[in-house]
Order: sequence, then C-alpha cells, then structure tokens
Amino acid sequence: MRVLRIGLIAVAAIFSQVVSADVIDVKLHYVGPTAGSVWLGVQQGLEEANVQGEFLGQRYSLQTETTEALAKTKTPITAILVGGDKQQVLAIANNAKYAHIPVLNLLSDSDDLRKACLANLLNLPASEQMKQDALQQWLAKHPESKAHVQGWHEDFRKFAASQLNGRFKKSHGIVMDNDAWSGWAAVKLLSDTVARNQTDDAAVILNYLRNEIAFDGQKGAGATFRDTGQLRQLVLIVEDNKLVAEAPLRGVKSGLDSLGLKSCK
Amino acid sequence: MKLKQLLLSSLILVSASAWAEPTYRLFVTNEKSNSVSVIDSRTNEVETTLDIGDRPRGIGLSPDQKILYVALSEENAIAMVDVKTLKTIGKLNAGEDPETFDVHPNGNLYLSNEDDAKATVINPETGKIIEEIRVGLEPEGVAVSPRGDIVLVTSESTNMVHVIDVEVHKVIANILVAARPRGLAFNSEGSLAYVSSEIGNELAIIDMSTYKIVKKVIVDVPKSKPMAIKLSPDDKTLYMTTGRAAKVVVMDAETLAIKAIIDVGKRVWGEEISRDGSRIYTANGVSNTVSVVDTAANISIKEIEVGKAPWGLVIDD
Repeated sequence: MRVLRIGLIAVAAIFSQVVSADVIDVKLHYVGPTAGSVWLGVQQGLEEANVQGEFLGQRYSLQTETTEALAKTKTPITAILVGGDKQQVLAIANNAKYAHIPVLNLLSDSDDLRKACLANLLNLPASEQMKQDALQQWLAKHPESKAHVQGWHEDFRKFAASQLNGRFKKSHGIVMDNDAWSGWAAVKLLSDTVARNQTDDAAVILNYLRNEIAFDGQKGAGATFRDTGQLRQLVLIVEDNKLVAEAPLRGVKSGLDSLGLKSCK
Repeated sequence: MKLKQLLLSSLILVSASAWAEPTYRLFVTNEKSNSVSVIDSRTNEVETTLDIGDRPRGIGLSPDQKILYVALSEENAIAMVDVKTLKTIGKLNAGEDPETFDVHPNGNLYLSNEDDAKATVINPETGKIIEEIRVGLEPEGVAVSPRGDIVLVTSESTNMVHVIDVEVHKVIANILVAARPRGLAFNSEGSLAYVSSEIGNELAIIDMSTYKIVKKVIVDVPKSKPMAIKLSPDDKTLYMTTGRAAKVVVMDAETLAIKAIIDVGKRVWGEEISRDGSRIYTANGVSNTVSVVDTAANISIKEIEVGKAPWGLVIDD
C-alpha cells in the first residue's frame, strides 16, 4: 500500500510539473477607468480567469494604459480592453498598429461602432438598436409600459446568472450591472480562448473569437459575434428596476437576430 | 495496483452480502416543494411524499442501499432517510450550497459545492467532512469510478472535468471540454468517461488512461441542452437528457450516433436507469412530472405527477 501511495504522489507530481512548465503569462492591456463598475467587472473576470488558469496553466494580469502609453508599447499585445466612449474606441480600433489585435469595447452602445464593421473590434454591450428593437417587441404587447432595456441586471437568475451575481457581490460588495458584466465577459472571452488555443497570440485569438467561440456569458445559449463585431446576446426588459422579461420575446421570428444590425452585408 | 483492486473487490463483496432486499422505490427530489416523491417502480404510482428540507437537489443511495441521501442546497446539509421505513435518520453538514454528489463504494460522499468552487468529501458514519478539494467555478457533476480510485467533477463556469485521485484526494488532471459541462458517467470498467456540455451542446468521451478526449459530437437535436447521462448495463447504449428540448437522446455509446429521440416532459434534467436497463426515469422540472421510458421500444410509457420542479432521482432495485 505504501509503494502504491508513493507511486501515486509521484504521478501527481509529474502532472503538476508538466502544468507549471507550460504556464503562459497573459498580459491584457486595459484603457479605461480604474474605479467603478467596469473596472470591478474586469477584476472579477481576472480573478476567475486565474482560477481556471491555475488548473490549465495560464496566469493573467492587467496592464492599465492611456491611449498614448499604449501606442508606445514595444512588446506584442494580446488584446486591448477599452472602457471608453465611441471616439476613444474608434481611435484605438482604427490604429493600423492594432489591426490584428482584438479590441474589446466594454462600454459604448453606439450603433456607429457596429456599422463601422472593423475586423478587430468586438462590441460586448448590447447596441442602441438592439435595445430599441427589444423595447419595440415589449411595447407591442404592453403599450402602456415604462420599461427600458439593459444587458444585465442584479436580479437575473437564469442560466447561472444568479451564481455570477452572487460571486460579484461577494467579492466587491456591490451589485453587478451592465458595465460590470461587460468587463467580466471581456476577460472571460479572452481566457476561454487562450485556454482552448494554448496561446496568447493576438491573431489566433481574434480569429477564434470571430469565428469559433460559443461563449458562456451566463446568459443562455452559446454566444457568438456577428460580422459587425457585436456579441449576439439576449437583453433584459426592466421596469421600476424590476426585471419583467427577456428579449427576444417568446415567439419572435429569427430569435436573437431580431435584435440590432444583423450583418455588415 | 493489484493489492488495491483486491482490497476494493473484497470491500464490494462485503457490502454486497449486506445488501438489503430491494424496495423497488424510485425517489425523486422536488426542488421547489422541498419534498421527495416516493414512487413504486413496479406500479409507477406515487406511494407517498416526504417533507425533506430546503431545496432538495442531488440524491443517492448508500452502497448497501439502506440509506437515502438528499442534498438540501439551502440548508447546507445532506438529509439521511431510511429506505425501508422512510424515516429521516439525521442530517450531515455538507458545506456551502451542496448540489450533486456521488457515493463511493466505501460509503463516503463526494459532493460539489456550487457557490464555493470546491468538492467536499463526507464520511456519513462519523458525519465529518474529511476533505475539501479546490476545483473550478460552479462545480456541478460528480462521478465516482466503478473501482473507486477516481472521482470526476465538472466545473461549469470554467469548462473543466477535474480528475481527483481518491488515494491522495488531489486533482491530478484537468480536461478542458465544451462550455458548461454538466453530467458525467463511467462505463462499467471505468476505462471511459462521458461528459455532457450544456452550452456547448456537446457530448465527449474521455479515455481514463490518458485523460484525453477521444471522441466528441454536437448533439443534433433542436433546443438541446445536454444534461444527465446514463449507460445501459452492457455499456452499449447511452441515454442523455436535454433540458428544454424535452427529449431523451439515445446514442450508440461507441460511435455516439443517435439511435432514437424520445419525447419526455419539459426541462428534463435528472435521470435514472433501472438495474436491468429496461427502464429510464427522467425528472421533468417544468412539467412537474417523472417520465418512465421503456428502453426496448424507446418510448415514454407513463408520465407521473410529482412535486414542483423535480430535479434528481434514484432507484432502489
């Protein structure tokens, strides 16, 4: 029995060595506020990415940047997370230096960013038009309603949303909102992709995000990106800060594609 | 390794000789009515309903099939019920938010603590937690290998199957699978493991000698969200529940080709198979029913009304 036990420990040691020898250090570049919801969402994403990384051999860190400092970076960049407005996102995404690097828009719902159809730009929040389309679906059935549309809500429970809401609140003492979800989702999209491809190469990651990922954003069906760079996702109808429905509403033709600009074509 | 097998098989022999006469009861947890429905599997009628505690989900039997265990997620406990008398014997402290568990041939319970990113090992005889093992986020499915040397745990939000060595209670390998892995099953030798992925809509086979995926398929059934998996006693056929698709998918366990698709109730999650493999039972969470499937004809022969949001089931046969 003792021999067996030592043998098993040896096997375990070999496994852990294999993993530690292969650890990939992944640095994510971030331009945006270093306080508030989106920042805390990014922090939550990092913490969770590192839980996964502990088992699969990745270590994630965040480098906060200004647009100017980012332009001076000499080392290869894996991905750029932007917690800024339309102009700031466009300025970064349009920089030829970053043409093959995923640029993740965390905050702006501007339709212009989707219509721009930039190959390197990925938009996480629901766009203005997605929200309007969702609201129209709701108002068609409830014309008197004073509802509005959000990407995320603290009371959302389905699809393990309650677990994510619970983890975020426990870590940061505040409820998870739209911006926090986007920050979290951006890091998770990247860590899922790094783990599956075992690389921090920007071009590989951009290609995988654009063409292959079925992302579990804890909002139901595996989420994909449209060619507009928009993350396809359900949105929430909220009235008096109460969650009243999910859109697309049940029975609406073309499901998730009933929301927002479908394609660049 | 030989010595260990010998010890385990003698252990199994001892417990086999102590097996109680089966009651043929099928036990079902009703997550939203805090109860367990007791169904006589010979008549498919509800015999009685037990008040069990807050948010019952995972369910299982002791190796001698004398004790029923029920995970009470909102009480952080496992309830113990005498299978014969249906009296509650006691409750075990189970750590935060116990969801599912499996019972080791030695009697210990291996369970997933969904909100705490860990697996907990409980000795029900002493009531003590003997180990807590860190795993990924939102651990869900748990399966003990037939020989008891390995425990698998899925982590839903970090997309892994964790391989835990029972001897040392350490994670010795991690297998990245499709998004939101849920259900697990071993073949009878323990040489292969099957894992379902809810969001990835995938079923994968893991070779347990290399811990590598050797085959995987996307489940070609509309609205499919793969959940629980059971194998036929001869290991040739696999039965998988598919959540909102409201079907049990019958697959060839080797090729993963679909052989039949069986209509059952809505939001089908939990699943059980009779010892002889002639019946599949499913917990239909939105229909509030249990479907009884005849596996010779691959049709549902009865839908039995149970409590609210039936979640898991286990049979004493």
